[in-house]
Amino acid sequence: MIATEKDMKDWLIEVIKPEEMNDRDFLKTGVFFEAVVPKNKIVEVAREFLTQGYFLESLTAVDFAECFEIVYHFNRWDLPKRACVKVVAAKETNGIDGGAGVMPTISSIYQSADWFEREIFEFFGARFDGHPNLKRLLLPENYRSFPLLKSFKGEAAGSDVTQSLELIKEYAHEFEVKTPHSITKKENDYYLNLGPQHPSTHGVLRVLLHLSGERVLGAEPIIGYSHRHHEKMMEIQNYLACWPNFGRLDYVGAMSYNFGYARLIERAMGLTPSPRVEHIRVLTSELNHIASHLLWMGTFLLDLGAFTPFFYCFDDRENILDILEMATGERLTYDYFRFGGLDRDIPTEIIPAVKKFIPGFKKRLKDYHTLVTKNPIFEQRTKGLGILTKENALKFGVTGPTLRASGVAMDLRRQESYSIYPELDFNIPTATDGDVFSRYLVRVREMEESLKIIQQVCERMPASGEVKMKVPKNVPKGEYYSAVESARGSFGIYLVSDGTLNPYRIKLRTPSFSNLSALKTMVPGCLVSDVIAILGSIDIVLPEIDR
Amino acid sequence: MILNEILKIILYGTLVILFVSVNALFLVWMERRVSARIQLRRGPIHVGWQGLLQTVADAIKLLTKELVTPSHADKFLYWLAPVLVFAPAVAAFLILPLADHVVIRDLNIGFLFVFSLTNVSFIGIFIAGWSSNSKYALLGSMRAVAQNISYEIPLLLSTMGVVMMSETLKLSGIVSAQATTWFVFPQFLAFVIFIISALAEANRAPFDIPEAESELVAGFHTEYSGMRFALFFLGEYTAVFISSAIAAALFLGGWREPAVPWISLANLGPLWYLLKTYAIVFVVMWIRWTFPRLRSDQLMALAWKVLIPLALLNVFFTALMMQVFEK
Repeated sequence: MIATEKDMKDWLIEVIKPEEMNDRDFLKTGVFFEAVVPKNKIVEVAREFLTQGYFLESLTAVDFAECFEIVYHFNRWDLPKRACVKVVAAKETNGIDGGAGVMPTISSIYQSADWFEREIFEFFGARFDGHPNLKRLLLPENYRSFPLLKSFKGEAAGSDVTQSLELIKEYAHEFEVKTPHSITKKENDYYLNLGPQHPSTHGVLRVLLHLSGERVLGAEPIIGYSHRHHEKMMEIQNYLACWPNFGRLDYVGAMSYNFGYARLIERAMGLTPSPRVEHIRVLTSELNHIASHLLWMGTFLLDLGAFTPFFYCFDDRENILDILEMATGERLTYDYFRFGGLDRDIPTEIIPAVKKFIPGFKKRLKDYHTLVTKNPIFEQRTKGLGILTKENALKFGVTGPTLRASGVAMDLRRQESYSIYPELDFNIPTATDGDVFSRYLVRVREMEESLKIIQQVCERMPASGEVKMKVPKNVPKGEYYSAVESARGSFGIYLVSDGTLNPYRIKLRTPSFSNLSALKTMVPGCLVSDVIAILGSIDIVLPEIDR
Repeated sequence: MILNEILKIILYGTLVILFVSVNALFLVWMERRVSARIQLRRGPIHVGWQGLLQTVADAIKLLTKELVTPSHADKFLYWLAPVLVFAPAVAAFLILPLADHVVIRDLNIGFLFVFSLTNVSFIGIFIAGWSSNSKYALLGSMRAVAQNISYEIPLLLSTMGVVMMSETLKLSGIVSAQATTWFVFPQFLAFVIFIISALAEANRAPFDIPEAESELVAGFHTEYSGMRFALFFLGEYTAVFISSAIAAALFLGGWREPAVPWISLANLGPLWYLLKTYAIVFVVMWIRWTFPRLRSDQLMALAWKVLIPLALLNVFFTALMMQVFEK
């Protein structure tokens, strides 16, 4: 397997000039090598990456003073072999649309690139040649500026968004069906807008369903309703001020987002937190992991029409939130980690509270199995439904429990073995069917595994240790990528630092974003009720998708 | 004579409507308390004794709410639908035998009258979905009609065994025929089929597919508000009550006290009847808060592939047994 990676590098060197290939320090930058590929070769390169079993982890652009860089991150399921491929696009002086120029699209190779490229289009104005549906993704379609350009000063935003009632009316027209590219209407078919106001879209998501009777022919998720542009926000703040943003992306599992940011900056600065800090971090993240899965389980079963499990899940989640509140003072949008340490040490009552929680929750898990897992109606509703094949998972860059349910044991906690995870004993639950039931089963088993981790951490917790550290104010110049396993999949941050107090560019690679884009391969042929079940089974959190 | 008859109609009408309203309020309260017990909650406890007045407060809220009619709706049909859903449910009270000879109208066609009336309410449901001019409402009413037509068959077939054993369609006659044994013992399979089909007829979970709120927002009554919505609500709870009351009369001996020697409360017929009915209602609620919802095609498969063959088998075996034991 390692040989394949070398092949990929050798293969790249044949394509490009050797001096454009750089080895990188993985421990510091999060990537193994970096290659600058000419614009006309990128499609060929992407195709080779796909055949070698790489998935497209992240795709973004950076606006430098003299040029644009389109940055592709590829990673593998089996080994941490992250590769960074860049394409340099010259600035177009007469560009009407931001000036990032025309790029070849790779959305026909990696379907996940579809949304990534649309995002680059709306933030940088880059046009992708051959892209099937190059429209604004997160911003309103009539928005005229390109906010991630460095030349964007924000003055246009005010006039754009709140300009007049006319604009709002124009936008309202969107809701009267506008045919997306992938759906062509036949006689007797009709469209149903599932959302943005709907009980089961878990936030403000709109799914445009193409129906024939109740049979679903196609589905197109339309996102952006809770877009707040965290990436731009972070560009105008210093590194420390970015912390609250990370608590508000995935508000259900915010602790892993704290972890991701802490890990990124610590690796960039070369800091090593004390063992006590690492233990507390793992403890709180895993507790949050369970809380997130519990919330998912409750709402997912609610989608299936089972009301009661929701309250049981919330009862358990409440216990966890109480414990986390003791540690952090917050119940939802945690802002607890700091560079090289934590906001504060945990109080002494926490370990006994956690130890008390564990047996109670174990008993509850048994109840869940009797009440839900073995319920014939539940099995009937979920087995063989919404199948995600490995091939599609690869093309859509699906990660997390959704991927593991398709039989791929990819978990960054093991793959990148960060923090104290290599020292802990836990398994990566997988299922083979890739259906809704498998996704349910994987998440329930993950709760059991997280419980195992928590138990070990409680026993190993160092009695004392420094939880704060003196750190430099700015991050050394360079590019860094760091990823952690969140409750929904691999959460990656790509940081370009110019050595100043503020990040030059931060790209948030959120797991639900890619996972949701895979929805359209799972739904065709099922019924409206199944769409809800499938949507629930991917476990999406909209603010994380819309950022 | 005619005047007397008219007065009787007015009196009974008022009594029934009064009972329906109070009963629905009570059932809603009961549902909330039962679900709360099942879900580790407490339910309404603050308004009135044990929260009994909470539903009254809610009813006042619904009564005072604005009646919104969607701009694209068919106004007359939109107005008609809730009435069509509610009225048949009330009319079914006419034939319930509360005690020996205490019944408003002891019709010869008996419970067939109830089932034919409840079918009228499906037309109301379909009209509601159609006239709202909303896709969710239309999908909901489509599902409702398909579901109700399918479940009518096992529902009626399951009662056939009882009819054969008691040799009458009159509810009072059926109750009299249960003097020695309740029909639930010889007709247990029919009882189960009846309860399942009645759940589906009343659109109750796990068969609440027409109003599946996580899928269709609120199904056929998505666009309704205020008192019109309340009429659908009343209709649903009354339908549950009627189904349970019919089940109690057909299978649990109606107003007859349980055949336990040390309890001689024979004169409290209506009380026993209500008790049995509420016991069935409780089971219905229990089921609702325990199971996830079925999918519409699975629901159809259950009716056509499982319940109807079983109900037919039950009719066959009942006939066979009657032949074997009586000759």
